[in-house]
Amino acid sequence: MKNKIAFWIITFGLTILILYISVITIIRPVFTTHALPKTTARIIEKIVKSGKDDIKKQEDEPMASKADTNGDSVHKLLEFKRKEILVRSRFLLASDDSMYLILDLINDLAILELKGISLHECPILHKEISNSIKSYSADALLSWSYEPFEMKTVDATIPKIIFIEKIAPKDTLEANKTVAEPKETKLGDVFIVMEFDRNLRLVISQSEKPDVEGEKIIGDLKRKYSKAEISRSIKGLLNFTRESVKPQIEIIIPKSDATILYKALPDNPRMILRM
Amino acid sequence: MEFEEKYKWSFLNFAKWLIPLLLFCLSVSMILYTPYFQDKAYQVKSWFSSTSIYEGKSEDAIEKLLVRSRRNIQYNESKLENLKPVKPYIVVNTTENRFSLRNVNGDTIRTGICSTGKNEILIAGNKRIVFKTPKGIFTVRNKQQNRPWIKPDWAFIEDGLPIPSARSAERIDYSTLGDYAMEIGNGYMLHGTLYQRFLGLPVTHGCVRLGDKDLEVIYNTLSKGSKVYIY
Repeated sequence: MKNKIAFWIITFGLTILILYISVITIIRPVFTTHALPKTTARIIEKIVKSGKDDIKKQEDEPMASKADTNGDSVHKLLEFKRKEILVRSRFLLASDDSMYLILDLINDLAILELKGISLHECPILHKEISNSIKSYSADALLSWSYEPFEMKTVDATIPKIIFIEKIAPKDTLEANKTVAEPKETKLGDVFIVMEFDRNLRLVISQSEKPDVEGEKIIGDLKRKYSKAEISRSIKGLLNFTRESVKPQIEIIIPKSDATILYKALPDNPRMILRM
Repeated sequence: MEFEEKYKWSFLNFAKWLIPLLLFCLSVSMILYTPYFQDKAYQVKSWFSSTSIYEGKSEDAIEKLLVRSRRNIQYNESKLENLKPVKPYIVVNTTENRFSLRNVNGDTIRTGICSTGKNEILIAGNKRIVFKTPKGIFTVRNKQQNRPWIKPDWAFIEDGLPIPSARSAERIDYSTLGDYAMEIGNGYMLHGTLYQRFLGLPVTHGCVRLGDKDLEVIYNTLSKGSKVYIY
């Protein structure tokens, strides 16, 4: 009888503990923190202000055609805001001499641009957007992606550039010996993890199945990130503080396109996100 | 004695279910800590939130925002348009060794293969000479037909030859650059090649080599001031 009572008391206690952990680890961080960092209010104000400024610079225009309902108007306005942010960001980055990436998740395209000129376009064959991004309203997403994202760190299975070092020959005889017929370079299997500011992680995978060696390299990189996530989780568990999950976008594109994009982008590229 | 026996027995009874229960709780907690569950929780959160800040605004207020937005788009589009090239331009892809010649509207006129930098470092004593095609935006500075190539020092170092004086006739080569050459700055050029079979491969010292027919079209399309985009 005593055992039974003790069993139920301990079970009840542990259940409470699990509930407490759930609240601390899932419910509290998710419901009280903003996964898409703190820019909403400030940026919405900025949108309105920039609108005001630009009006002064331009002549008056006929009013936009009246939408039938408030819902339609809001929808239309969001469409306009999306385009406005895209054009504004493109102009901002085009003023610079660096190449930048446009990730257009509406038309499923990844575009490499320089000075407003599209250099390379590739289709996004598959995309996965984490719930921590999808769950936010359209205008929260617009304010999150109002400014272009700047890459902070990158991990990739392919090098950006490989230089072959060659010692200068002493004479023509040695020079003739070292002449080799050029061969087509083999593309390595691609898996790229880019960490941007504002908490965004972009993962680029190739659509083709990697070879045995590539599979191992990709596996190693994936494991590195899982290990980091596990150690973060354990630290959080010990301290009873859980950081917010990292909003992640994963895209799958052809291997050749992934290679081109990665090799062409500068060391700290900027990216315009359209969604 | 009897009491001790009784105590032992009840502890063992406890341990039998207490240890698995604790392990179960620990694993549940660990699972809850994984990002997967947190991400799922965001989905749940979205059921209770995500109303647009614009919802509930009056029709007039939204109309005003729409007009502003449209103006901003037009304003930035016109600024962006000013950055675009006013002459036909060429885009060179160094990863695939391909080019695309485009008109002012951005429509492709011609595409084809080319050769770009071989990404090699030639070490000569304490000198390190890098052979790679620079990336970015360039401008055609000069166009010339049958342009002779004034060989730089590295051309002799690479062939294991003694470096002649700066004005030596040995430096002048009339055949290497092909029929046409377009300078894009810092000694880099778009030019022809004797080694047509290597087109499509990264073999150059940094210039962009083109096939004879492509080179002729490009030479006739691009003019001084035309943009060259290399990525």
